[in-house]
Amino acid sequence: MISSVRLKPLNWHPYIAPVELSEATPEQLEAMKVTPSAKKVSEYVRTLAHDPESYLARTILFNAIMYVEGGLARPDRELGALGASIVNGCKFCAVVHARRHAELTKSDQVVTALYLDKPEVLGPRDAAIYSFARRLSAAPSEATADDIAALRSVGMDDREIIDLIHAISIFGWANRLMHVLGHAESG
Amino acid sequence: MDAMDKAAGLSPDDALFAARRFRPEFVQGAEECRVSVLQPANDQGLAPNLRVALARRMAALNGDPVLMAEYDVQLAQLGPTEELLALAQGETDFNEPLATIVRHVDLITMTPKKAEAGHIALLAKAGLNNPQIVALSELIAFVNFQTRVAAGLRLMRST
Repeated sequence: MISSVRLKPLNWHPYIAPVELSEATPEQLEAMKVTPSAKKVSEYVRTLAHDPESYLARTILFNAIMYVEGGLARPDRELGALGASIVNGCKFCAVVHARRHAELTKSDQVVTALYLDKPEVLGPRDAAIYSFARRLSAAPSEATADDIAALRSVGMDDREIIDLIHAISIFGWANRLMHVLGHAESG
Repeated sequence: MDAMDKAAGLSPDDALFAARRFRPEFVQGAEECRVSVLQPANDQGLAPNLRVALARRMAALNGDPVLMAEYDVQLAQLGPTEELLALAQGETDFNEPLATIVRHVDLITMTPKKAEAGHIALLAKAGLNNPQIVALSELIAFVNFQTRVAAGLRLMRST
């Protein structure tokens, strides 16, 4: 039995000056869905609001991929996100989605195994998802037909696999924003 | 058929084409994202032909001949300069700011783990303002999303 890894949330800070709400354009405010009198909009949102069109479009897609009802179970989406974030080196994203996986499954066994780099202790379903997440996140992708076969062999249907591909791929996106435009700090 | 169907080689009579439509939010969302980084209403001073040339370069880095061919076609329609054609083909010898931009694009596509504060400082030093730094980051991130979804769907289709 391995003892649990305790992951504390990290804070994210940008390398560039975020948009100040007092100076935001109407389009930026609309993208951030705030009024100028709002006090708290995260630095991350205000950083991406420099380009409001892409921020708005990506936020809508991201929320659909991670939270839409039905299809792939939420913890499986989080595991895909975590696998991508580990490969891409986004510590902030990895901690957020590891914690979410632990909350959703009411267990930190999977997260502990991954943080201790012991994927061999995962059950077959988690192992298939995690392995695919890692291989699809490589540049170029190293995923093969065997990965899809492994997902099918643990009972995943086409709709679930499509959901998983999107969860992994949207972190190919998110990691390249959060780890590139800023850095994570503890406490 | 949309850009992702074309990239993945899906036609309307494929079972996978229908399975993709189980998630209209993903289909429409991915297309709106594509427009937001490749044909934005406000390009922040990063012209559409530069964006498509960079997308072609990143498709090649991701080993995706289908998307390479697609972006080649798009680039040819946008009046590319010799310089942009060379950039799209993966060459590295450019004047600023393109030299810094392509180094950044290559690094973040291939090894995002290695990104540091200094890389953003280099973009600023090459003359990119904050909206341009964010818009470039979103473009890089999108193409890396697009190539992975396409790769995953192609694997599903082949098995």
